[in-house]
Amino acid sequence: MNLVRAELERLGARRFVQLMMVLLVLAFGVTAATTLAGSHRPTASELSEARSQAAQARQQLELTYQRCVDQVNGTLAPGVEREYFPENCSELDPGRMERLPVASDFLTGVFSFDQQARPLLYFLIAFLVLFGFLVGASYIGADLNSGGVVNLLLWRPRRLTVLGAKLGTLLGAVLVLSLLASAAYLATFWVIGQTAGLPGRLDGEFWRGLGAIHGRGMVLVLLASTLGFALATLGRHTSAALGAAAAYAVVWELGARLVLEIVDAARPDQLMLSSHIGAWLSGEARFWDARACINSGTGFCDGSYTLTWAPALAVLLGLTAVLAVAAFTTFRRRDLI
Amino acid sequence: MSAVIEIEGLRKTFHSVRHGRRVAVDGFDLLVEAGQVHGFLGPNGSGKTTTLRALLGLVRPDSGRMSVLGAPSPAQLPQVAGRVGAIVESPQFFGNFTGHRTLRLLARAGGVPVGRVDEVLEQVGLLERGGDRVKGYSLGMKQLLAVASALLKDPELLILDEPANGLDPAGIREMRDLMRSLAAAGVTVLVSSHILGEIQLICDHVTIISQGRRVAAGRVDEVLAGFDQHEFLVRVAEPERAAELLREAGLPVAAHPEHLVVGQVTDASVLSRVLGEQGLWVTELTPLRPDLESVFLELTGEGSHLALPRQVDGSALPDAPPPVDGLIDLDAEAGAGRGGNA
Repeated sequence: MNLVRAELERLGARRFVQLMMVLLVLAFGVTAATTLAGSHRPTASELSEARSQAAQARQQLELTYQRCVDQVNGTLAPGVEREYFPENCSELDPGRMERLPVASDFLTGVFSFDQQARPLLYFLIAFLVLFGFLVGASYIGADLNSGGVVNLLLWRPRRLTVLGAKLGTLLGAVLVLSLLASAAYLATFWVIGQTAGLPGRLDGEFWRGLGAIHGRGMVLVLLASTLGFALATLGRHTSAALGAAAAYAVVWELGARLVLEIVDAARPDQLMLSSHIGAWLSGEARFWDARACINSGTGFCDGSYTLTWAPALAVLLGLTAVLAVAAFTTFRRRDLI
Repeated sequence: MSAVIEIEGLRKTFHSVRHGRRVAVDGFDLLVEAGQVHGFLGPNGSGKTTTLRALLGLVRPDSGRMSVLGAPSPAQLPQVAGRVGAIVESPQFFGNFTGHRTLRLLARAGGVPVGRVDEVLEQVGLLERGGDRVKGYSLGMKQLLAVASALLKDPELLILDEPANGLDPAGIREMRDLMRSLAAAGVTVLVSSHILGEIQLICDHVTIISQGRRVAAGRVDEVLAGFDQHEFLVRVAEPERAAELLREAGLPVAAHPEHLVVGQVTDASVLSRVLGEQGLWVTELTPLRPDLESVFLELTGEGSHLALPRQVDGSALPDAPPPVDGLIDLDAEAGAGRGGNA
């Protein structure tokens, strides 16, 4: 416990951590200020107009669905021109859609919390993932490089305990900071929605959906922190983690993706970490399989496939676990010179 | 006396893709007994720091046996770590922290009462600057802070790697006094240093390492005595004639422009008698005792090619480890276990 307290104080005193905190507050402040400046409370007439437009849009969806059903059933009214519709009209069924047009979709210059909360949360999660990775890497990387770890091991000559305490402290601190930051962040935009925009439809379903994204985002932040920590431990330096991340992005996500597309490989997206991150964060991600419809003739072919959150989490957890175990194993045996 | 540090047959080889295989420590032995202030000498790259790192569990040896305060190292090092204070090379501290905060964090991590912080800051003379940020400290002050961190645990054994690095003459003197006071309080001290004069002043025992092997060990005075060639510096009015007379008396004489150096002199009165009987009156007669520096240079071979650019541990040693009998090991108890006496 003493070790964790001491590590927590060291972590908090790091200039890099303080700089990232300032950047977080700055990004938070700028986003909130521009949102506040660009939003206003809609007047009654604006609301009325928007509601009318939303109703028209919903009606249009109903009509489209009905035309599809009629065309498939062969009950089109005489003189009605045939259109292109999918074979299965359920894709156009408004009752099955995730969301239908609402009034806030037709309000300009009005911040709607229920519409914007998800993208705002995604932005915050992206920042916290970056924060976790960089802080995780620099926390151990700088200590390994400067001799701080050696100094600590002279006091506590138990390598795994020391490294474990560092990782535990890092993850605990990053999680608490992320929870506090996201709570403050969402609360601020909720207040903006209440006072200078529209809160929107904030029912149980909305909060459950937002909570699920937030929970998955927090897991991603912890995984990124562990990855940064493990890579820097393996490479003995902060830059090892940064280099590994940059190399992966350029060599695999860009280069290998290009090569796989050129050789017409099957489902290259499922080989990319970014796909699994997207699938984990949003629950599932759909990708296009170019080879699926090669022999489908001229008929309708749905060449998409879905990555769901469970295998995506397994991939992310597996990668992180392998690197973390490698880092601990290497650190246990390494000469500290 | 009980052994506080025991190292037998320590061997460590480093492998690197760029530089290949390098033997850093090659069958090294070290014995430090309770209450000693033990100097650990060796040229740069001779294996001092690797030895200390291996002893403290920071480097994995290829072979050899080590123990600290009776506990095999590194397996049982955690059990005695609370009784061992150590600094290895110059430790780095957060520049942003004050000296006081730096020590407080270490005390907290090591389960030491925070009240010790002020005590050790005062002990090393940093109490007044304890509130300053470390980045404002001089190299010597950082070194004192490192020593203070090693003292926090109120250790029975203090291992200091080059503690005088960066210290000014006054700081070196304070460090010397500190080590003396610690030794007087019963703390066993193992100190590695390049400043041979300091080692000679503060250490009662010494071990010299060269190319990863022990080349001398024992009490400082006895190690020096092993190299005493019983030489005297003689100044006399007619040095050429005096040299001739002394040679006739069977003494080896080296003539220098201003003086003579006469060897194998067991009784100084022989010199004055031989010269006085021929009417040559001695104006200076000084015994030339070996100091640690000359012994060190001779043992490590570093004095033999002073005109050449100095290389890292350019000691001249045979390829194979020297026979144990070849060691200058005057520490009777230390040698008894390993047959190291010569």
